[in-house]
Formats: sequence, C-alpha cells, structure tokens
Amino acid sequence: MRVLLFAHLKDHAGRAEFELSLPGPTPMDELWRRLLAVHPELAPFRDSVRLARNGEYVDKASSFVDTDEVALIPPVSGG
Amino acid sequence: MRIDIHISPQPIDLNGPAPESLDDQTGALASFTGLVRSQENGRIIAALEYEAYQPMAERLMRRILENIAGRHPCHFVRVTHRIGVIPVGQAAIQIVVAAAHRAEAFAMMSEFMNRLKQDVPIWKLRAIDRDPPPPPPPS
Repeated sequence: MRVLLFAHLKDHAGRAEFELSLPGPTPMDELWRRLLAVHPELAPFRDSVRLARNGEYVDKASSFVDTDEVALIPPVSGG
Repeated sequence: MRIDIHISPQPIDLNGPAPESLDDQTGALASFTGLVRSQENGRIIAALEYEAYQPMAERLMRRILENIAGRHPCHFVRVTHRIGVIPVGQAAIQIVVAAAHRAEAFAMMSEFMNRLKQDVPIWKLRAIDRDPPPPPPPS
C-alpha cells in the first residue's frame, strides 16, 4: 500500500509517502495501528485526520487492501 | 454545465479569457478572486505557500460543482487554484461563473467556496515572513 502524507503530517514524518504491507483486507482501526507503528509521531493528529482511499474520503467502517493508495488528509485550508 | 478546473503553480491571469460557452441564454457572468493578504494570524507576511493532493482535489471540486448545479443551475464554471509560493497581493483562487441569472451565479460561488474550505484537499502550508527592514546606517 502506498501511503501519502500532506501539510504538517509530512513535516512530522519527514517524508511525503511510504509503503506499508497489509496481510489482507484491513479495517480502519487496524490500518491506523500499523500506520502509527511506522510513524508514532503522527498519533497526536489521528483525531483530526481523515483518510482517503484511492482519492475518495472513506468512513470508519471501511477496510483497505494492499493495492490501495491511502492519503492522510489533515484539516484543509484552501482558497 | 461545462466545468473547467485548473490547479497549477502558474500565476492566475485576472484578465483571463471570458468563457467560450457564453450564449444568448447567459444573463450573469460573475467572478470571485481570493487574494493573499499581508497579514496571517497577526504576522506581516510576504507570501503563503499552498499544497494540493491534486487528483483528489480536482475530482472533488468537480463533484461539488455538479452537486451545487443540481440546485443552482449554471452554464459554465471555471475554478483556478494556484499552489506553491504565492506573494501577497496575488490571487490564490479565482472562480468564474456564467448563469441565466445572478442568483444562481452568486449561490454557486458562495456554496462552492464553503465546501472547498471544508473538504477539498488543499492546504496553506506556511506563511513566509516579510524580510525585516535593513538596520539603520551607523551614525
């Protein structure tokens, strides 16, 4: 799985993207556990970050597979 | 409704061409331009830097515009959002709307800007401070 980071999340993690391996269909809570195992410094932002899968926002009931592209979307501020 | 969306580091041409799809059913041509101000959270700044998750931002903007058009039918919308470093006084976003009447055009612009600021993955990354003035010459 390709994981994309934006804005201040990129600064805290020190990179804009990374690869994460999933064993199979993975619920959101488990995905977060694996994300934070790689980048624990992102934990304070979890409550304010929305996840997008392949460019679409997803809800908490979603699950993820290894071929997905997941983006961590912090609060937006365009315009 | 024709929709044109551009996300680019290129400066926005405030005198850009009028929509090509104007016809004799268009009674309102409205535009909104968002400029970078010299103050950001009380700091005097020289520029703002923006970043976008571009494929998702473009797709979501189009979906939002189509959704709003279901309630406020318009003929044409062009949204241009600049990313990268944008100096004070220059445009970060411009929206041009053509519609039969001003009410639809204004509603489209207002609702789109509200949705953009809630959902579209574009960020102000940082404010770049204006250089401090040079020290006075020694007396």
